[in-house]
Amino acid sequence: MSARYGMVIDLDRCTGCGSCMVSCAAENNVPVLPKASARTGITPMLVRRVSNHMAGADHREVFFPILCMHCEHETPCVRVCPQQAVEVDQATGIVMQMPQRCLGCRYCMTACPYHARYFNWWDPGWPSGMEKSLNPGVAVRMRGVVEKCNLCHARLHAAKERAAAAGKREIDPTDYVPACVEACPTQAIRFGDLAEKNDPVSEEAKSPDAFRLLVRLGTEPKVYYKSKEKWVRALAQSNGGRSMEAEHV
Amino acid sequence: MKVTRRDLFVWGAGAAAGLVFSPVPWKLLDDTSIWSQNWPWIPQPARSPVEVKQSFCSLCPQGCALKVRMAGGWPIGVAGVSTSPVTRGALCPLGYGAHQLNWHPRRLQAVRHKESVSSWGAAQTAFAKACGEGPVIVIDGYPGRAASSILEAFAEKRGSYRVALSPELGALAPYERWSGVPANALGYDLENARTIVSGAPMLDGWGSPGRFTRLWAESAAGAKDPQLRLIQIEDSFSRTGSRAWQSVRIRSGSESALAAGLAHVLLDERLVPARGPIPRLTLADAAAQAGISEDAIRELARTMVERRPTLVISNDENPQVAALNVLLAATGARGGIVRRTKGTRHLPADAVNLNARAILIDAKVPWNFTPETDAEIFRFAAWDDGTSKSDWLLPAPGFLEELTDIPAAPTSAIETYAVAPALSKPRFEVQSAAQFLGNLDPSLGTTEKLIHGRCNGLFRERKGTLYGAARVPLEKFDSVQKVEEQLWKGAIWTGDPPSVGGWRCELKEWPQDPEKLRSRDWASEWPAAVLPPLAVKLYQESTLREAPERRNA
Amino acid sequence: MMSRNQFVFGFGLAVSLFAGWVLFPRALYSARPQPVEFRHKTHAEKSGISDCSQCHAFRDDGSYAGLPSIDTCAGCHSERIGTSAAEATLVDHYIKPGQETPWLVYSRQPANVWFSHAVHVKRGGLACTECHGSYGESDQARLYQVNRISGYSRDIWGHSMSRLRRKPGDGMKMSDCEDCHRRHGVDVGCLGCHQ
Repeated sequence: MSARYGMVIDLDRCTGCGSCMVSCAAENNVPVLPKASARTGITPMLVRRVSNHMAGADHREVFFPILCMHCEHETPCVRVCPQQAVEVDQATGIVMQMPQRCLGCRYCMTACPYHARYFNWWDPGWPSGMEKSLNPGVAVRMRGVVEKCNLCHARLHAAKERAAAAGKREIDPTDYVPACVEACPTQAIRFGDLAEKNDPVSEEAKSPDAFRLLVRLGTEPKVYYKSKEKWVRALAQSNGGRSMEAEHV
Repeated sequence: MKVTRRDLFVWGAGAAAGLVFSPVPWKLLDDTSIWSQNWPWIPQPARSPVEVKQSFCSLCPQGCALKVRMAGGWPIGVAGVSTSPVTRGALCPLGYGAHQLNWHPRRLQAVRHKESVSSWGAAQTAFAKACGEGPVIVIDGYPGRAASSILEAFAEKRGSYRVALSPELGALAPYERWSGVPANALGYDLENARTIVSGAPMLDGWGSPGRFTRLWAESAAGAKDPQLRLIQIEDSFSRTGSRAWQSVRIRSGSESALAAGLAHVLLDERLVPARGPIPRLTLADAAAQAGISEDAIRELARTMVERRPTLVISNDENPQVAALNVLLAATGARGGIVRRTKGTRHLPADAVNLNARAILIDAKVPWNFTPETDAEIFRFAAWDDGTSKSDWLLPAPGFLEELTDIPAAPTSAIETYAVAPALSKPRFEVQSAAQFLGNLDPSLGTTEKLIHGRCNGLFRERKGTLYGAARVPLEKFDSVQKVEEQLWKGAIWTGDPPSVGGWRCELKEWPQDPEKLRSRDWASEWPAAVLPPLAVKLYQESTLREAPERRNA
Repeated sequence: MMSRNQFVFGFGLAVSLFAGWVLFPRALYSARPQPVEFRHKTHAEKSGISDCSQCHAFRDDGSYAGLPSIDTCAGCHSERIGTSAAEATLVDHYIKPGQETPWLVYSRQPANVWFSHAVHVKRGGLACTECHGSYGESDQARLYQVNRISGYSRDIWGHSMSRLRRKPGDGMKMSDCEDCHRRHGVDVGCLGCHQ
């Protein structure tokens, strides 16, 4: 099995509702801490609101769901990690973060051009009893480690187990869908195997409306975006995440 | 033999050398590093097998289908049901975190009477006493359930039954006045509309999350000339506006003026078959009030009717906006407002000052609903954000903690019916309002019995389709048990598609705004008593949404 | 002839070696008996259970149920069979009240480990004994030893402090998993086994 899991996110369809953010946090046992802010919170899936900075009738806005781009080439976080706590998985292409191995230096957060990595500034915690609502497939991280999107690896584990139980070597593609993809009410986020020619997602990634963030860095992200609006495509090509960051602050 | 200082050092050196060749330092290093990977104070999920069950969300009257993952008897995650013909796999962002709501620190755990802890017995006695002393009003926020009919039956005998209208149902209220058809019998035939002119947050919390968003995504998103044109008219640039085909911004509170202006153009330019009624407000005045030019209004009116059927959807009970649909002949028409059922007329809860000895408020009534009254208030709620001015706060079942049935959503064009079984057990003594009244008057029956009766009724009518694991027409079922079995497992019954016509709106003169027109800010409709903790991420840990204001805080 | 210094040095060496190899393991682990004295051998001989999966079964979704639930025990032990004290404990304390036996799991891995029995047994074709040794033939449930610092079962490190010449099933550290994966040429990456 040598898949290259990736996504195509249709920005024209994104209404910025935030379902992906909530379902991601629920799936991955991400805590909500009273002290967390937009700078210190943990949002492996983060929807940013971006405008074209025009006034009046020309004003346009778009919502940009940002997650780990799962860079295929020269993966920046992998290259800087002194602990080998991140690796690009051979079989799936998923950039895998191992929080248990992380020593919290945050080089990877500095290196990541997409700001898709988050640091656990506090011990995770839930109101009393709420730990019973946690997903048994994902271990809770601890204070002082970095985490990010692992493409819902617990769902991949479950799919692998179901495949093995049924005596199959390969997982059923419909059996492994990350939480954000499942949650999106407009089906703006699509997930599939970019290495599989017949996969609708790998075809969509080749559409003229598809683009990736900061391609000039040569990191070959596996998360594609799609928009029919020119200014959106231009925004991502020329300034990449930077102008989005400006909007965000 | 005398032990010297030198002996001690030599002994120590030997001991140290020995220690290196013993497991002590290496094992301690290993164990302490393992210990530091598993801090004992960090909660870890229980080791339980995960089961998937189906139910429905009854937190609001949309009643979305839920796929619930359960571990150790508790829900650990929810998702939509893709086979549901209503929600088509979608939920709202609040729904995705709802499985944590029952553990919220603001969960109402005990009966409270005027700021102090009381008991169910005391509440029961106080309510029974009130019933003996004067009329009692029961307020429901989710009409049409089996539990609602218990509330209604009780209230009919002792006072009156009233319904706190949801914003969607409120927007249909003017048609009830003009046609006599109950608002809860009406729905929008969105699927067949080609132009939707809206002031409601169509893509951001209006109606069933999966219905319009999916329709829009498939037939409008990103297209230059979409099949479905969404024209959003608002006073600010909302997220629906940012995605709409056209977004028009007008002055705050000038919706009525713009509606009157549009009516002028539609009638003057004969863009609609109707010949009246003509609003008193002139086009020039309408333009001045709305803050856009007369030409812009003319242009907008022409665009509105370019692709028909056109449907106007209001954010509130604004009768002038509603009147546009009458002009456009969108009432009782394909792609317009259709009648899906017979319906029942209910008295609204906020229309008049409520004079009664006691008022009982069901848990499904929005938390920020506060009646203007001197009556003793018995408020059922699962969560308490500390702002209630009710005399009694009575802990109601939380998320997925009670059996209920799910009637059609307020905006639905077709009848639907589903059963939401309870999936987790409440951790303390809770009662729903229906149970509470059932205890006082056992002749009212129980929710379970009523649901059984309703299933029986469906089976006998033999109409519609049951969407379970497969789509099966109801007439194919040979026993009511099989229908019930399917419904209890999460199937949804849907009625036949709505027939066009069957109701008319008479509009003799152009309506005037009522004295009190509640303006609705959807962001502030968000907070129930509390939000699911994870939803807090949307405004606390990101800038995606504005923090909802606390109305009563 | 040994000098005085050599003697004293050797004495120190001997004391710390003794302390390290003999006293330290006893201090490091605390031992607890299983809640019910269970005998694999008796079950195999008297009731003819020969296959591990008769009690240690897979669930329908492919996940592994691990230790059997009390219902499995109740299948035969709904009433006392025999007169032993263990039998009385099992029936009176657990089966009749319908309470799960709080077995102490020797091979319990920490929360951050994802291990799939289905993948190893059904797809990899490993026999139970390759990881769990011949525990299924044991005559007595041994004491459960738990590390006072890490809280792990002693079986994770293995009973030999030096980790030399261990039998299969004695030692289930990450390095043991890795050794076997390396031998079989299976590379799954970190999140292949961590969650």
